[in-house]
Amino acid sequence: MSRILVVDDESSIRLLYSHELADEGYEVTTAAGAEEAVEKLRKDDFDLILLDIKLKNESGLDLLQRIVKERHNLPVILCTAFSCYKDDFSAWLADGYVVKSSDLKELKQEIRRVLDKKSLRNSPKHRV
Amino acid sequence: MEPECCWTKETVTAAECPFISPDETDLFGSLRRRLVAKCLECPRFAADLERMAREGRPEASVMRILIDEFLLQKSRLDTMIGFLDSRNMEIQFLHEIGALLQTSLLELDEVLSVALTAITAGKGFGMNRAFLLLADKERRTLKGSLAVGPRTYEEAWAIWEEIGRTDFSLKEMAKHFHDTKLSAEKDKFHDILERLTVPMDDQRSILVRALQERRPLLVHDAFHDSRVDPELAHTLDVDSFLILPLLTRNRRVGVIIADNFITKKPITHEDMRSMETLTFPVAFAIERASLYDRLHEDLRKLTVANTRLQEQQELIVRLEKMALLGKVTSSIAHSIRNPLMIIGGFARSLLRNIDENDPKKEFLETIVREARQLEDTLSEALGHADSMAPVLDQWDINELVGNVFGEVRSRAEGEGIAFTLDLAPDLPMIRMDYRQMAYCIKKILFNSLDAMLPPGELTVTTRIDGDDILVEIRDTAARPARGDGDMFSHPALEKRDETENLELSFCRVILENYCKSFTVEEYEGKGTLYLIRLPRKKEEEHHE
Repeated sequence: MSRILVVDDESSIRLLYSHELADEGYEVTTAAGAEEAVEKLRKDDFDLILLDIKLKNESGLDLLQRIVKERHNLPVILCTAFSCYKDDFSAWLADGYVVKSSDLKELKQEIRRVLDKKSLRNSPKHRV
Repeated sequence: MEPECCWTKETVTAAECPFISPDETDLFGSLRRRLVAKCLECPRFAADLERMAREGRPEASVMRILIDEFLLQKSRLDTMIGFLDSRNMEIQFLHEIGALLQTSLLELDEVLSVALTAITAGKGFGMNRAFLLLADKERRTLKGSLAVGPRTYEEAWAIWEEIGRTDFSLKEMAKHFHDTKLSAEKDKFHDILERLTVPMDDQRSILVRALQERRPLLVHDAFHDSRVDPELAHTLDVDSFLILPLLTRNRRVGVIIADNFITKKPITHEDMRSMETLTFPVAFAIERASLYDRLHEDLRKLTVANTRLQEQQELIVRLEKMALLGKVTSSIAHSIRNPLMIIGGFARSLLRNIDENDPKKEFLETIVREARQLEDTLSEALGHADSMAPVLDQWDINELVGNVFGEVRSRAEGEGIAFTLDLAPDLPMIRMDYRQMAYCIKKILFNSLDAMLPPGELTVTTRIDGDDILVEIRDTAARPARGDGDMFSHPALEKRDETENLELSFCRVILENYCKSFTVEEYEGKGTLYLIRLPRKKEEEHHE
């Protein structure tokens, strides 16, 4: 079972993601901000992070840079309310992007794509 | 001896002296004047002298010597008077041309008309033809510009007959030429003018040589003169011509070629010297006309540039407003999308698990449908806003402040406010949207100027403070105290134009987005300090 860390400052969104992704068979953990996310990353292993770009009083992109620096194999999908993330080069470090929508179909597809890519990268054949 | 001539009588009659004409009747009563004017050249007087000599009278030979000497001196005097008269006329003529060239003419064609008319008119130097060659702007080529005169005998007679009928002054002749004949003469001599064109570095050309040697050259036998290019001789088709260089103190303006193509009248060194005097005012007038033309052209370009600049400034203002509008739209949309996603998302979740026959299913379907519709509308609006979103890049804050300073300075100076910059050298580049940051700083400066009275001081400083770059804007506006230190909510602003208020509010939104902090410190009655703190990130330094 793949483990996903959801980082979003909106509690309702965390709840929605938890509920929906659990239905898809993922084990979901949530964090309301960057520090909490870093704390949980230290304690547990995750297969994927869903990260909101605009966190309360902090930037999701700063957290993205820390994650890439410290856990460069951990894939990150950026979730955003609008597509201005394209203006910031640091957003290019992410493995996937999803514009927030009440229809989570696109998000679920992106999660599957990124996890498949990760498992392919970690397979013995790929390592050779 | 009884004299044959009447030279011994005080008064005479017309019968006694047949050499006195009806308009010289005063000579009848004055021996002294008659003796000088008539007797010394009178054959009767000469006969009296000869007779006296034959008679052995000694005074006869003395008188002969004195009379010969007198006549010689008189002849010299007459020549000198004639020379002085012609010089006087020449000086008057040059004075007339000089006054005409220097006082009223500003257009090049008018100057050329006067110059060539002066050379060819009978009231001027009376040459048959004159060609004017002008140096181009780059001083690389002497180009045939204008010519005056007849090309055939028939035309010459027609011209001179016309001149004979009219009694124009030089000024009138030049004006008549300019108004009625200028373009026709250009066309008439087009072929010759084309062939006269010569590069200014052509050392073999006698025209270039006259310019280099800074003196006129007189050619008497063009077809056999080694200095003259045979092509030039054939083009002009005359044996004798005069080359007059047009020079100002340090510029080669052009050359005038003058000849007597029709009359073949010899050109003398005297003619050359007279016309040389004319070339100085002509050269200066041509140079002045060229400068005037250039000034006009520069003024026109400046006017066009100024108009474009104004259009660009208006465009920038419009773009700035559009970008701000886009930013506000994006911000609002962002605030709406999250709750919309939550409502729609949970509705979908509930809908998936609800019984097919549950009456609430329709309600949930409605929520999902409406949420979806709102999301689509929002995406459309955001797509539009994205196109107006800020363009982030690395910029030099000093350059930005300097450019804004340039835009605001003239207004500050006009209002008696001392506006100074104090920029720290070698500041690292900062990531920002240039247009928006410039807009905000400009708005703050204008806000300060609005609140200041002369003699006020407005200072913009940049400096490094730890990991940050500070932009400090300090004014000496004596604003009344206000509690929250928020310049954008001051009551004074409420009196202002609503658009301006909105713009200042946008500034705060923009600055808060880019800056680490944006603070306003007020010193009651003494001024205000606006402090923009921009982050200087380590990774940005590596890029430099």
